[in-house]
Amino acid sequence: MKVYLKFDYAQLTKKIVQEKLSELGYKYNFIGFGEFNFLEKVPSSKIAEITSVFREYGIEIVESQKSVLVQKIKDTIVEMVHSETPLNIKSSVYIAEKLNLSYAYLSNVFSEVTYTSIENFIIIQKIELAKQLMINTPLNLTEISIQLNYSSVAHLSTQFKHMTGMTPSAFQKIIVKRREISNKKQ
Amino acid sequence: MNTDFINICLADDDEDDRLFFTDAFDELRINTKVSTFNDGVELMNYLNNEDSILPNVLFLDLNMPKKNGVECLLEIKQNEKFSDIAIAIYSTSSSEEHIEETFINGANIYIKKPNDFEKLKKILSEVVTLNWQYHTSGLNKDNFLMRM
Amino acid sequence: MKRIGLHKSPLFLKIIFVVSVAIIFFIGGITFKHITVLKKSSAYVSNSYEVNIELERLMSCIKDAETGQRGYLLSKDKKFLIPYQNSGSLIKKSHQRISELTSNSRTQQNNLKTLQYHINKRLNYLSKNLYLVQHEKYSEDELEYNLITGQKSMDSIRLRIEDMIITQKVLLKNRQKDYDSTMNYTPLLIYLTLIITLILITIAFVKMNRDLILLKNTIHTLTVEIEANKLSEIVGNFGSWKLDIETNTYTFSDNEYRLLGCEPQSFEASKEGFLKFIHPDDLEFVKESANNAVMNDSRVPFMYRVIRKDGEVRYFKDMGQVVSFASQNKTYIGTTRDITSEIDDKITTEERNRELESNNKELSAFNYIASHDLQEPLRKIETFISRLISKDHDNISTSGQQYIASIQKSANRMRVLIEDLLQFSRTNKAEKTFQLSNLNCLLDNAKQELAQTIEEKKAVLTSSVLPSLSIIPFQIQQLFINLIGNSLKYSKANEAPSISINYSIIVANEEEFLPDTYHEYHKITVEDNGIGFDQEYAKNIFVLFNRLHNKNEYQGTGIGLAICKKIVENHKGFIFAKGVLHEGSTFIIYLPVEQKQA
Repeated sequence: MKVYLKFDYAQLTKKIVQEKLSELGYKYNFIGFGEFNFLEKVPSSKIAEITSVFREYGIEIVESQKSVLVQKIKDTIVEMVHSETPLNIKSSVYIAEKLNLSYAYLSNVFSEVTYTSIENFIIIQKIELAKQLMINTPLNLTEISIQLNYSSVAHLSTQFKHMTGMTPSAFQKIIVKRREISNKKQ
Repeated sequence: MNTDFINICLADDDEDDRLFFTDAFDELRINTKVSTFNDGVELMNYLNNEDSILPNVLFLDLNMPKKNGVECLLEIKQNEKFSDIAIAIYSTSSSEEHIEETFINGANIYIKKPNDFEKLKKILSEVVTLNWQYHTSGLNKDNFLMRM
Repeated sequence: MKRIGLHKSPLFLKIIFVVSVAIIFFIGGITFKHITVLKKSSAYVSNSYEVNIELERLMSCIKDAETGQRGYLLSKDKKFLIPYQNSGSLIKKSHQRISELTSNSRTQQNNLKTLQYHINKRLNYLSKNLYLVQHEKYSEDELEYNLITGQKSMDSIRLRIEDMIITQKVLLKNRQKDYDSTMNYTPLLIYLTLIITLILITIAFVKMNRDLILLKNTIHTLTVEIEANKLSEIVGNFGSWKLDIETNTYTFSDNEYRLLGCEPQSFEASKEGFLKFIHPDDLEFVKESANNAVMNDSRVPFMYRVIRKDGEVRYFKDMGQVVSFASQNKTYIGTTRDITSEIDDKITTEERNRELESNNKELSAFNYIASHDLQEPLRKIETFISRLISKDHDNISTSGQQYIASIQKSANRMRVLIEDLLQFSRTNKAEKTFQLSNLNCLLDNAKQELAQTIEEKKAVLTSSVLPSLSIIPFQIQQLFINLIGNSLKYSKANEAPSISINYSIIVANEEEFLPDTYHEYHKITVEDNGIGFDQEYAKNIFVLFNRLHNKNEYQGTGIGLAICKKIVENHKGFIFAKGVLHEGSTFIIYLPVEQKQA
């Protein structure tokens, strides 16, 4: 039998970090997504140890100030995209307000570090969520476009095609066929 | 990312295409290391070598002597060791059957070789960027499908 | 039906015959009996009369005797005594006769006895008187007493005789009555039975007549059938033969001879006669197969070659079966068909198929060349040009730059052409796997495919609910893409395109473009409000590379609609275009409704 999972990386990461830090006996408190404070002084040798433990789970400690900021922007975007309640303000305003920094600055830092724009990242996130919903829920494309705050199905279709080079139904077809094959193998 | 290199491999029997490919990456301002192979056998030998650095993205031409792209694709997909490699098919063919078949067999990206160098640069840049997003932003790699 | 009627009637006729004979016997018996009764009765009548006569005679005898005696008594003349003397024997004779005649009636016998007694008594008195007179010893008183007593007994005799006559009359009457009663119902009975017989005979006649007509018709039908069969043998190029299994005799139909290139019935029908025409290589096989067919009633057709009288080799196919009719011998009925032309056709078809197959292979090889090998160098030309422009643009002279721009444009156009051509040949060759698909989904996919253009042009698409059909999904999707794409492309510059897709099921003869048949079709129309076209060109627009517009006006290779036509033809359907210049165009697709069968 094959089971398909839907998971929340942020939740997962937070849980792992909590467990590992407690295991190693450190005192800490979470500030937000992907950010925590040690409540005591930690020597750099210990940091290396923590880094290697985390790396096993694909979690990395980012040190640079810019990287931290980018991570914060990403977290904000992920949270925004996944939120069930539709935004009634522009996403740029939302992010700037949330991080309390000017959008121009955030946009610059983001592009510098990731080679992609915030807008593009938002679209990527939205399309990814659309993919997940298409595959794992019985929602049809119209319902998905409403949930993701698109003005129309055509708009979602256009953006989907622009990002992936294929139509949503072509994507769905491929995934369904892949699953059929892997089910046969088992 | 700004310190690490992105490792890229290309298997293509056409010399001109390999040249366009490497030139394109040279002109892009992304830190990449590009290795090229003349055919599928050469590529698989490299991948199966213990000491080799596995690529982040692998570009496969479909039509190659000795071992063609689909054969390489199937072989790579069967090996757990290569599960992190994003596979991009890089071919002249635009036959829908071909494209669907390669996606179903596990390819992430299908690139029809463009006829404009600037377009090639753009495509490669997009592929690498998007792949980086999948890599760094915790996106479900199973859903990584892209056609250009 | 007819045959069954005919089959049953002999039994019916037999029954009628038996019944009729029985009735005739019955009538004969009754008549015989009746005549016997009649004879008896008439005999009895004459008997009765004789009795009466004899009684009269007896009476007269006695009277004669008495008269004679009286005469003698008066005259004493002896000659008067002669009747008296004779009367004795006469009376006796009469008596005896009466006794004989009345032997079957006891009453008359008793009467006769009493009569006898009285007669004797009378005669005694007579003789007593005579004696007294002759011997002169009589007293007048005694004589008178004797005379009176004699007279008395004479009266009794008369009385008796009258009695007897009456009795005889009564008897006769009774007999007459009996006879009459017998005679009364006999004619009725005879009459009735005669009528029944007549009816039966009439029925039998009618029945026989009808059977006769039926038989005549059947014979006529059979004659026609035989002629038809002969004709169909000639037309259908087959012959038939019969083998009486019991007597081992063969019969060949006329056409069987003709098949062998001989005149009908020109040689005696026999196994040997036929076998000598068979191709030597097939002889053993034919012998074996024929034997198997006749002995085991195997109904597997077998094929062989013959060499006709004129030396031509022909292919024959034989098949038959054993039939047995109730009364007749088992017969094997076989047919021989000349299948030479079929075999020739088959060989030609196979050859053509091979040719076609190799053509197709060549075509797909060409397809591959076009798709891969031809595109490859073109792509490189374009890529190198693009590199040249971006890297060395400034080092090239102005005219050089222009040339390069022209090369780039031409190469680009060539690529578009190759790609479209490829798509066209792909719709030609691609595996035609029909599967039941929901056209609504395919239309949705097409819309997704065109989503960007639709959005850019702010086009409004409306569609009615489409059915699920057994089609080649990818091709129908392509059809929608091409048609909608066409409508989007040829839209008016100042008006948002509005495209409506409608569906209905229609019957061919109600549609202006379709042949006048009763086949049902799925009709799908794609209607737009674009620039339209002159109806004059309606047919041309589906022709490969045919364009109604200058290529600078609208981009395109003139392949899109040709592909549409190809796709519809792959589905055994029709596509038509209707246009009004500056108002819009309508594309009508007819796909056949599948026959509901296996």
